[in-house]
Amino acid sequence: MTTAAPLLELRGVRAGYGIIDVLHGVDLVLQPGEVLALLGPNGAGKSTTLAVASGQIEPSSGQLLIGGREVNGARPDALARSGVCLVPEGRGIFPNLTVTENLRMMTFAGTSLSAIQEKAYELFPRLEERRRQLAGTLSGGEQQMLAMARAMATDPALLMLDELSMGLAPIIVDELYSQVATLARTGLSILIVEQFAKTVLGVADTAAIMLHGRVTRTGRPDEIAEELTAAYLGIESGGHQ
Amino acid sequence: MSEIDPSGAAVLEAEDITVQFGGLRALSHATITAHSGVITGLIGPNGAGKTTLFNVITGHQNTVTGAVRLGGRDVTRLGVHRRARKGLSRTFQKLEAFNSLSARDNVLVAAEMYGAGTGPARLADDILERVGLADVADITVGTLPTGTARLVELARALAVRPRVLLLDEASSGLTEEETAAVGDLLIQLVAEDDLAVLLVEHDMSFVMNTCSQIHVLDFGQMIAAGSPEEVQGNETVRAAYLGTGS
Amino acid sequence: MRTSGLRPSLIFAILASLGFLVVVSWQSWAGNTVTLDSLLVATIAGLSVGSLYAISATGLVVVYTTTGTFNFAHGGIGVFSAFLYWELAENKDGIGLPRLFALILVVLVVAPAIGVFLDLILMRRLRTADLVVQLMVTVGLMVFLLTLTGQLWQADQARSVGFFWEGQGFFIGEFKVTWHRYMVIVVAAAIALLLRLLLYRTRIGVAMRAVVDNRELTALNGARPGMLSSFAWALGSSLAALAGILIAPEVQFSPANLNDVMLIAAIAAAALGQLRSLPLTVVGGLLIGLLQQHNAQWLSHGADWPFTRLAIAPIVLFLVVLALPQARLEVGRVATNLRPVERTTNWAEGAFGSVALIVVAIVLANGWLDFGVWDPGPWNQIALNNGIAAMVIALIGLSLVPLTGWAGQINFAPLAFAGFGAFLFLKLAGESGNALWIPVVGLLCAPLGAIVALFAARLSGLYLALLSLAFALLMAKLVYPHPKIFPTHTFADLSVGSYTLDSRYRFFLALIIVFAVMMFALVLLRRSRFGRRWVAMQDSQAAAATIGVNVILTKVIVYATSAALAGMAGVFWAISKNSIDSGRDFELLANFEIVLLMAAAGLAMPAAALFLSFRFVIEALGGRLDEAGSFGPLVWFLDSFLAKFGPGLLAIGMVVNQRGAVFEMGKGFAPLLPWRRDARRELALERERGRVREIGGLGLTEPFTGEALLEIDHELGVVDDITPAEGYRHAVHPEVADV
Repeated sequence: MTTAAPLLELRGVRAGYGIIDVLHGVDLVLQPGEVLALLGPNGAGKSTTLAVASGQIEPSSGQLLIGGREVNGARPDALARSGVCLVPEGRGIFPNLTVTENLRMMTFAGTSLSAIQEKAYELFPRLEERRRQLAGTLSGGEQQMLAMARAMATDPALLMLDELSMGLAPIIVDELYSQVATLARTGLSILIVEQFAKTVLGVADTAAIMLHGRVTRTGRPDEIAEELTAAYLGIESGGHQ
Repeated sequence: MSEIDPSGAAVLEAEDITVQFGGLRALSHATITAHSGVITGLIGPNGAGKTTLFNVITGHQNTVTGAVRLGGRDVTRLGVHRRARKGLSRTFQKLEAFNSLSARDNVLVAAEMYGAGTGPARLADDILERVGLADVADITVGTLPTGTARLVELARALAVRPRVLLLDEASSGLTEEETAAVGDLLIQLVAEDDLAVLLVEHDMSFVMNTCSQIHVLDFGQMIAAGSPEEVQGNETVRAAYLGTGS
Repeated sequence: MRTSGLRPSLIFAILASLGFLVVVSWQSWAGNTVTLDSLLVATIAGLSVGSLYAISATGLVVVYTTTGTFNFAHGGIGVFSAFLYWELAENKDGIGLPRLFALILVVLVVAPAIGVFLDLILMRRLRTADLVVQLMVTVGLMVFLLTLTGQLWQADQARSVGFFWEGQGFFIGEFKVTWHRYMVIVVAAAIALLLRLLLYRTRIGVAMRAVVDNRELTALNGARPGMLSSFAWALGSSLAALAGILIAPEVQFSPANLNDVMLIAAIAAAALGQLRSLPLTVVGGLLIGLLQQHNAQWLSHGADWPFTRLAIAPIVLFLVVLALPQARLEVGRVATNLRPVERTTNWAEGAFGSVALIVVAIVLANGWLDFGVWDPGPWNQIALNNGIAAMVIALIGLSLVPLTGWAGQINFAPLAFAGFGAFLFLKLAGESGNALWIPVVGLLCAPLGAIVALFAARLSGLYLALLSLAFALLMAKLVYPHPKIFPTHTFADLSVGSYTLDSRYRFFLALIIVFAVMMFALVLLRRSRFGRRWVAMQDSQAAAATIGVNVILTKVIVYATSAALAGMAGVFWAISKNSIDSGRDFELLANFEIVLLMAAAGLAMPAAALFLSFRFVIEALGGRLDEAGSFGPLVWFLDSFLAKFGPGLLAIGMVVNQRGAVFEMGKGFAPLLPWRRDARRELALERERGRVREIGGLGLTEPFTGEALLEIDHELGVVDDITPAEGYRHAVHPEVADV
């Protein structure tokens, strides 16, 4: 472990959409078995960072390393089959497929359907009751459970969660994050992006703040909390590096 | 920064705005005003309904309830271009410059909606000078860097001689230096031209430094309004941003 | 965007089509007795043909939803396959395979192979391309496939494809219904069932539906987008081939006709399904088949409406595009800011070009330089006719510059507008050929453009293209063939006062001068406030509205301008041909060729219209060389290859060169001009970006393999350390982690 390379590393990554750069040199390190919360106001580039790490956007410069190897240009489906799992913002489900068909899509990452069903229904029994229903007709919380099922049932090497709590009732958010905590205890490396910081800070080992397309501060959650308020509300706290 | 004169009538009023997308209520009885000579900020977490509110004001989005008034006159039923001709101008969150045109033509095409002869050309050159784009006036905007293209969009919005200027994320994609320059320019413009500016922004230090009045939107509802200091100290606002956990 | 609760346009469309149907039926009733038998027979025939449309349309939709490419070459693939089938099974001098075997070979082996091949070499590059490019490449492919089929199986021999069971059948009352038609219905039902099983019961089918919901998430799940897209192309091509082969016995067996029948019906059916819903698409196909067969059974349109049966699918398409709410069409289209960038032609450059053209015309007219053009030898007559045809087509092409090149309104119907100008000139100037009527014709054509604009204003992108396609076909099949529009008159020579352009040569020179003047006028127009506004509107309608541009009015103006230009060009077109052959001159392929060549040359540049002379120049050159003798292979290359395949190939080439040839040539040349400081600057900027990209892309060559992951895990020691054995199981499994 001591000589191990970080599981995920971004070195000076610039990236964006078309000619618009959103990331202006992001440096980020996720150690094996670590839970890292990436926080910051909207528009700072958090989701774009995840898009780069999952292969959806190729960095225009800089390096994306997974397990110490540069994987710039690897396609998202290849990374997914290799164990990188991104649950994207706003319900990572297919609304016009049934619950079972959604689970079937997860088999592309290499786990058998029966194994996925077993695990998913054990964790979220409500999904089994609704297995023939179109996923788009599920409640918001159930949809997010279905999206999370991919993370839980396909044994990824790296899990990335984007705005898991968006638009959900607090009680459901708590339930989802208790599952995340369970995953974290198995030693899975997790990168969590959230705007609502407090939910995440309880789960995370490390937190990083993003501003203006850069990671401006990394530290323990309790160190970060006050600075975060400052970052969100634009208060000059003087605590920046 | 000028203080708001409470007796002065607002040049833009959007009152009691409700917008429904299918089962989702994007805005719920939201009210916002903008005053001449003042920069007003509109902030709130992702998905709070800020851009939707902008779209309602400019006429890109229909409402269930509420009215939009410009200079005291109801414009709720007017189309986008007719509101524009009454002095409402905006920029977009996702860059919407005219990419095939040169920077000068971007501004000119707006200016010549409101003048004939050599007037628009002179106005366009003045504005380009002021925004600091004189050097790139002849370059096709699609080939310019993002920050510069955003400035072109701002210049274009100014060329219609607006009474009210709406800026949607003027700083996104800009470096910190560029953001600061835009802030300075806005303060200068508002002071000189008696313009009303309403801006949506995620960069809070920009908002706090530039705006004298701030409205906070959360889940489609206005949860707070006041000076930057008041908003920063507001517990509801902090909760909205940081989540509901303890 | 504004949404209306009521849909007045939908109600209007339904009422209008019902009214139309009643009026037409009333007027054209053939007087056949309605019996249960005759109703049944027409219905079976309609269902049979409709099944084939449904099969074809289903293929179109599957490809579109899975890959985001709307394939205009769909019919072309069917045509090629049908001819190949003829060669294998029907050709008396051929190898004479059994029909069923040949059918299986073509449908299950050759056609899917063609589909996969197209996907690999062309279509994958198109997914993120500009819509115009996407349309042009598939239309170019269609033209290419039809030309190829026409060249391989030349029209010197009458061909037909026989029915299965040699046309035997059984009688319902006095009417025979062939077994072939029953079989088609059964086959279609079986295919519908198989597709249903494929899409709902297999993993790859589920993934194809998943792509429609969310393309990015499908990849995040680990499904290979490349495999899905190749599979969709194979399936789509296979369905096109099956429909083409089975429909061949029912129609006149020529490439263009078979393509018209298959493609338009398939597009109309797919549009009814909003290019997404397979059940509705099938309904659309059956509906068109039923309408066609019942029309044939009960109505007789007489000599005034000779091609009405061919207008049924276009009418359905027209109404559907106007009436249905637009679904989110651009599946998976990524919005980028990399749209082709164009530069305004400097007015001095425009003037220089125009004056140069006029000088050439004057020099030729006075015989100051003798190229032997005066000499009325046989070749020179050919060259002159080619020159005239070239300039006329270039004039028509100019009408697309403001409309499509600047305002971004795709238009597949330039000849429909041109025909209207020719019609008006015939009515106004009659036998006199008085050229002073031409501007009046232009003015009167403008309202036609404005009317089309009112229909088109709401539409964008693909639906706009389909509307213009339907418009082109309606004019070609319904309006212009009416004998009152173009009676068999010939057009008189043009005259201005007492001066008559009575020789082909004078006419040619006049065309050059007219073109030069029009081109310069367009250069000036582009630099006017109108030109700027049109380009601005294309770049962003939302932004144009917020600076006060009335988008609808602006569209009306640009359509009217384009219609006026096309109408005036149409006058010269008609005169150059002496008379209009309304059955052939407005064919879809002729429209396509103009649009394709304009797009390949660069739609935004007036000078690009000269590029439309391409085919004629090459043919003239080929003819000249042929006359000189001993250039056999070269002549073949020019005449049989370049002139025929050129338009299609050039359009396909837009995959690589998206901005058009003239633009690229100009871009290379411009920095050399002393006054083009901006061009040098842009070049420098581009180089700068290129450098950044090179540095950033260094890691691209390193693939992320399963082996690499094994190594990573070994280095990390995660397998022992962190998780009980299966934790990273599949992450280190080479066979699932290969890239």
